[in-house]
Amino acid sequence: MFTDRGLERYQRQIALFGVEAQEQLARARVVIVGAGGLGCPVALYLAAAGIGEIRLVDGDIVDRTNLNRQVLHGDRDVGRAKVESAAGKLRAQNPEIRVVATCTTVDDENAALLVSGADLIVDAADNFAVRYTLNRVALQAGVPLVHGAVRGFDGQATTIIPGRTACLECIFPVAPPVEAVTPVVGTTPGIIGLIQANEAIKYITGTGDLLTGRLLVWDGHAATMTTLPVERQEDCSACGIGRC
Amino acid sequence: MQVRVRAFARLREAIGGDLMLEVPPGATMSMLLAAVGETSEQAEEALFEESGELRGYVILMHNGKRVRRAEAMTLTLADGDEVALFPPVAGG
Repeated sequence: MFTDRGLERYQRQIALFGVEAQEQLARARVVIVGAGGLGCPVALYLAAAGIGEIRLVDGDIVDRTNLNRQVLHGDRDVGRAKVESAAGKLRAQNPEIRVVATCTTVDDENAALLVSGADLIVDAADNFAVRYTLNRVALQAGVPLVHGAVRGFDGQATTIIPGRTACLECIFPVAPPVEAVTPVVGTTPGIIGLIQANEAIKYITGTGDLLTGRLLVWDGHAATMTTLPVERQEDCSACGIGRC
Repeated sequence: MQVRVRAFARLREAIGGDLMLEVPPGATMSMLLAAVGETSEQAEEALFEESGELRGYVILMHNGKRVRRAEAMTLTLADGDEVALFPPVAGG
C-alpha cells in the first residue's frame, strides 16, 4: 500500500512495529477536538506518524495569547480559524494523509455526526462541558476516547475504552471550575499532548499498555509523573449500570 | 498516628509537597482533610468551598482506592495510611 517514498518516510517506525502496523495507522480515522495547546502537538505528531485521516474540530480563531503554546499557529495566523491554520501545517508536514478541518464548537447536537466513522477520539478541548459531550458520544458510538487536560505546570491524561474502563464521568463526576484565564506554560500541553498522541498510536497499532483504568498525572514543577488507579463507578450517570 | 498525604496540582502548590500529618487514632478521612486545610490558607481554599464543604471536584484516594465523598465522614484511617488528593485540571 505504501509507495517507496512512504516506506522511506515511516522507515524508523516500521523498523519498530512493522509495515502492518503502519498500514493500520494509514487506515485510521482520528478525530481531534481542539486545535489549541493540546490539539496542536497531538495533530502534528499523529500527522507525522502517518494517521490516514485526521479530523480537526475547533470553532476558535487564533489569538496572539495562544502563541506561547499552540505551536502549529504563528504570528501570521492571528485572526485565522485555528483548524485552517493547523490543517495547513499538517498538510505541509505530511502530504500523504487526509486532513479534514471543521470550524465549529462541539455540542450535543453535532457531536455524533462529527465523530461518525472515527476509530478514535482525542479530547484536546479546553473545558469540561465539551469533554462530557465527547465522553457521552464516545460511549454511544463505542469509540475510544483519549483524554488530556492541563493547567500551569500540571497535566492529566487517561484512555477510555467504552464499556470496559472508567469513563470520564466515572473519574470526574464533578467538573473543575471554569477559569476566565487559565495560566499555562507551553511545555505542559506539549507533554500531555504527546502522551495522548502516543496513546493513539499504541491503540491503533495494538502496541504496549494503554492508560486504561489509570489517570496519568504530570507535575512539571517537580518533574514527576504518577499514575492513579481509576475504576468504573456503578452509579456513573454516563456509563453506570443499565446505561452502557 | 501518622498519615501520608500526597497532594497533586494546585493543592500541591498550596501545601508545598507531600505531608506527613499527625492525627489522633481513629481519625476519619474528613478529619484528615480538615487538618490538611489547616496547614495554610491556600490549602483551605484549594480543598474547601467558602461554606466549608469539600470542593466537589477534588478526587480522594485512600491507599490507592477511590473514596466517595459520602464515605469520607465514616472512613477511619490507620497509622501509615496514604491519602492522595487530586484536584483535576481543565485547560487545553
